[in-house]
Amino acid sequence: MNLEDIIKETKTYYCLECGKCTAVCPVSRHNSNFSPRLMLERALMDFEGELIHDRELFSCLACYACSNLCPSDVDYPVFTQKVRNLASGQGEHGDCAHSGTLLSLMRLMSGPDIRQKRLDWLDGCHTSQKSEVLYFVGCAPYFEPIFEDIEVSPVSIARNSIKILNALGIEPIVLPNERCCGHDLLWTGDVETFKKLAQFNAQMIKESGAKKIVFSCPEGYRTFKLDYPNYVDLGCEVLHISELLVEKIGQNGVKFKEIKKNVTYQDPCRLGRHLGIYESPREIIKAIPGIKLTEMEHSGDESICCGTSAWTNCGSYSKKIREERLFEAKATGAEVLVTACPKCQIHFKCAMVDKGAEKGPDIKMEVMDLVNLVADAMET
Amino acid sequence: MNRENGHTSVLVIGGGIAGIQASLDLANMGFKVYLVEKSPSIGGRMAQLDKTFPTNDCAMCILAPKMIEANSHPNIELLTYSEVEKVSGEVGKFTVKVKKKASFVDWNKCTGCGLCVEGCPVIAPNEFDQGIGNRKAIYLYFPQAVPKKCVIDKREERPCKAACMDACPVHTNVPGYIKLITEGQFKAAYKLIRETNPLPACVGRVCYAPCQEACNRSQLDEPLCIRDLKRVPGDQWNIEELEVPVVAKTDKKVAVIGAGPAGLAAANDLALKGHGVTIFEALPEPGGMLRVGIPEYRLPKKILHQEIGYIQKLGVEIKTGVRVGKDVTLEELKKDYHAVFLGIGAHGGVKLGVEGEDIHGVMEGIGFLRAVSLGEKVSVGKKVAVIGGGNTAIDCARAAKRLEAKEVTIVYRRSRTEMPASEEEVTAAETEGIKIEFLTTPSRFSAEKKKLASMECVRMKLGEPDASGRPRPIPVKGSEFTIEVDTVIAALGQAPETDFVKKLGVSVSKRGTIEIDNKTGVTNIEGVFAGGDVVTGPAFVIDAIAAGKKAARSIHQYMTGQPIEGEEPGKEPEKLSEEEVKDLKKSFPSRNKVEMREEPVKERTKDFREVALGYSPEEAGEEASRCLAGQIEGCIECHECERRCEPKAIVYTMKDETIALEVGAIIIASGLGLYDISSLTEYGYKKIKNVITAMEFERFTAASGPTMGELRRPSDGRIPENIAFIQCVGSRDFRNKAYCSSVCCMHATKEAMLAFEHHPGTKSTIFYMDMRAVGKRFQEYIARAKKEYNVIYIRGRPGRIEVDPENGNPIIWYEETVSGEIKGFEVELVVLAQAMVPQMTKNLAKILGIGLDEDGFVKVPDKLLQPLDTTRPGIFACGYVHSPRDIPDSVTQASGAAGRTAEEIASLRSQGGK
Repeated sequence: MNLEDIIKETKTYYCLECGKCTAVCPVSRHNSNFSPRLMLERALMDFEGELIHDRELFSCLACYACSNLCPSDVDYPVFTQKVRNLASGQGEHGDCAHSGTLLSLMRLMSGPDIRQKRLDWLDGCHTSQKSEVLYFVGCAPYFEPIFEDIEVSPVSIARNSIKILNALGIEPIVLPNERCCGHDLLWTGDVETFKKLAQFNAQMIKESGAKKIVFSCPEGYRTFKLDYPNYVDLGCEVLHISELLVEKIGQNGVKFKEIKKNVTYQDPCRLGRHLGIYESPREIIKAIPGIKLTEMEHSGDESICCGTSAWTNCGSYSKKIREERLFEAKATGAEVLVTACPKCQIHFKCAMVDKGAEKGPDIKMEVMDLVNLVADAMET
Repeated sequence: MNRENGHTSVLVIGGGIAGIQASLDLANMGFKVYLVEKSPSIGGRMAQLDKTFPTNDCAMCILAPKMIEANSHPNIELLTYSEVEKVSGEVGKFTVKVKKKASFVDWNKCTGCGLCVEGCPVIAPNEFDQGIGNRKAIYLYFPQAVPKKCVIDKREERPCKAACMDACPVHTNVPGYIKLITEGQFKAAYKLIRETNPLPACVGRVCYAPCQEACNRSQLDEPLCIRDLKRVPGDQWNIEELEVPVVAKTDKKVAVIGAGPAGLAAANDLALKGHGVTIFEALPEPGGMLRVGIPEYRLPKKILHQEIGYIQKLGVEIKTGVRVGKDVTLEELKKDYHAVFLGIGAHGGVKLGVEGEDIHGVMEGIGFLRAVSLGEKVSVGKKVAVIGGGNTAIDCARAAKRLEAKEVTIVYRRSRTEMPASEEEVTAAETEGIKIEFLTTPSRFSAEKKKLASMECVRMKLGEPDASGRPRPIPVKGSEFTIEVDTVIAALGQAPETDFVKKLGVSVSKRGTIEIDNKTGVTNIEGVFAGGDVVTGPAFVIDAIAAGKKAARSIHQYMTGQPIEGEEPGKEPEKLSEEEVKDLKKSFPSRNKVEMREEPVKERTKDFREVALGYSPEEAGEEASRCLAGQIEGCIECHECERRCEPKAIVYTMKDETIALEVGAIIIASGLGLYDISSLTEYGYKKIKNVITAMEFERFTAASGPTMGELRRPSDGRIPENIAFIQCVGSRDFRNKAYCSSVCCMHATKEAMLAFEHHPGTKSTIFYMDMRAVGKRFQEYIARAKKEYNVIYIRGRPGRIEVDPENGNPIIWYEETVSGEIKGFEVELVVLAQAMVPQMTKNLAKILGIGLDEDGFVKVPDKLLQPLDTTRPGIFACGYVHSPRDIPDSVTQASGAAGRTAEEIASLRSQGGK
């Protein structure tokens, strides 16, 4: 695929260069070297070299704030994804944070013979070998030791997800050799490895006999729902755990105990603007007695991204984005910031405890995943 | 196509500049034109504009002559406030059903004077001003409206019978002023009450409120506390700021005897008609019973003084300390003045007729209250008994309690049910620790050392009704008992003192009351009128006011040589039917009245401070919002406009009317609508106060707009010196309207120039995509804006607008696409170029049988060969509804459409069609 093909496929020739994308982009707000419009302009004016070899090509968060407003309906994130693929073919790549550990782990999982020991955290949860429902864990078990120092427990989200499913009468299948969904690799241009991961996952899921896959991670959910169908045949319905919960709450099938807390909610980009799911998490939060939900200044489809995508090009600009967002969260008067994505939680906590962050103390607050909040409320 | 029986008239739909132009062209060619417009006036969008580009001429100056021409052209019939409902037939013979909406104003009589608008209590957002200004329920669409006729926005039936207005002796516009109180319009409420009652703050404290008795809300839960609401405007607004109207003075003089409510009301009304009035008052202070009968704790003298003071500001002279019959005679006054009004009230006491009533310590009630009110030294003992059961007795008892009395007992010969005093007063007295001995009457007073020491009483029982209709009290034999008292106040009634009128021959009844014709207030002596307690015996303040007003009306007629006609009697207050109550209970949940806060009991009896504390603005708003009449949107049928309309043009019962027109062709010129940009949340419209639309800007700078032409920004009224205009809001946007609205680049430039003209030095920045300046001299216009009017153009579409909470300044985030600069830009006002849409609904297109394109513009069969036709033969289109265009192009196209129409139906004329 060459640049001309990408332009044709993504219809970016409709761009009128109005600059609205750049004006709303959270990265451009703090990093004036990055402008979505400028990237597109280079593509349209055939400055391929400048486009592909610019480090900032890998700064886009694919948060969709731009395309949400674009008067010409250009899908900038998909354009970026494809150009990154082109760029990686020419040896370009973004800077993976944490010494490249995370993307390397994902690539490792694409090996056919890899054996993982990834289910030790399952205590207190009931799983089954045969079920209609499969719970897709994601990379939580790997994040757990890496981010221990910032006081998050991604694995607790997975554990509580299964506990919630149990409380709803479901004992899901959990794959012992699950592979990374591949989201980060797809978005940073490594389509080949992504394909391998997808194929392995699809095969294992078929063999499991499951008909429904439940996700607590929005990125996994989005990838399986929107991207996998382009590469593999799943034969399964995919659901986010909030959609399941909301249905049950509507049928009065869930009993919550009172939790007296003032909270605010961060719409994850992948759940919100990518998939249009804004209401069900809010309905769940509001269904818990004692909870007061106050919206941030920019909420719903105006939500601002947590600042880093695919662990790539994370730097001082990313921290500035997080700081501003956390100031918005603080301004609501909430004690707890409820997130619905393990990465949002990690990135926000990082901003609070990172020794380099000057505003750390001013933006400190509790960051809790929606699943953990619900699990707390469901405990008898 | 059979055109043999065709019609040569044309229907033009839409009274904007295009519709007007097409109508004039056709009318000048000899065709009859029906111009249908759905708003009350023709003029359309152009009437809303301040100036037009590229000449920056005043829009109305150019438009108005055309509007007038259309109105007066013999071949044009204006059908405004009307809509097309059905179109049948074919070219040459269409039959069109047009619905003429009920305006509730007879346009044959209305002169557009606007007096009705002044009095209307209902305030609503003004559509013509894009909601930034207000109008009333009855309104003139805009000052230069053609036709200049008022319409009433009346949407539903008033849910109650407004029984309050019928029950009130002066028919005060109760729903009207309650509505004004809900809107916080206290000055307007005070003025409205004053139309029928010159003493709002006083009456709002002491009235017996027949309105409350009749209030229809009482059939749901509790009646409105109308009296308590009546004092609110006077409490919340300084009534001394009330302006004095300029009235042409006549050469007539009236003598009013008695400065009580009857005399004051008569004087007020006569002064407002320009007559000279002198009030002669025997007491040292004016006010009558308001001054000397009702104690300070119920009616503070300061309030009375203020309201009497206003009547004096009208030119009324009050001479106190002058007793007519002693210091000057009635005959002298009759000679020196053109008319005389007797309003002397009933200030004489009534004797008990009990042994020992001359003992020192037994006093008469009226005299007691007068002495207390005038600040004379009055001593009461420790144990006081008050004889009587009316409000006067209660007043005496509560006043005595506030003096040295330790124990106060009211002695009344009938039971609580028959007590004439109001329930509230009785409750207040009991709360203050005053005992009431019912079914008791004194039979004898006894003295010790020449001072009153005890009172012998006898119990009564109720027998058959007596002359007053109440059970006759009969003493119970053997029930005598004695109460220790040192003071007795007899409050048995009030008698008029009318001996001095007999010399002039004024007819007086056996009871001593002056006899009058009840309808007019005239006595048997020409030029002598009377009213109030002196006629009726003791009654209520509002009755006296009503009598004074009635007499004033008659006096005015008498002095100006007109026949004296009494007013038509009003109707009886109506109750709601059971059905109606059931329905209302569904829509209005039960709400209890808001209780009036009072001074705490223990404290308040120490002195004469006012007991009732009055509603706070919030309490007033809450109570006022219970009023059923005020619950509806639009007109509440308070009849205020009807009262003020001199040609009597108001018709509440008007209905929509449907007429059928026979026309040969139809031109659609319905113009442009404004796209709803609330989904474009990135601009903060409606969230950020200082983000407005371009049309709102026009209404700000237009001289006849809500700010009289001053560009004052919404948050703080400051004139902005730094303005940003954002183009293509909703236009050129795949998510909203993909097309270009055509005129915004130019109107933004125009508005930037206007801002500079209004306030030299203002800096305007226009955020554009392209500058579309396609007309003649348009590019030069833009160059001039840059050069002479401090306008800067930045290419870029902003992505987010935030606001600085401290000063309300919007902050715009944008990328300047020419330089790649990304920044936040703080301004004081943002003006959004809102996308424009064709003013054509799918429904209307269906009625007309025409096709629309995917954006709702009229579909044209062939852009090159039949550009002004629609898809239905005989129907043509021009102006914005056809395609986005500016005013000159709309006018041009309108003439084109007129030509095309004439082409179609001209042949009918020569065939002898009508």
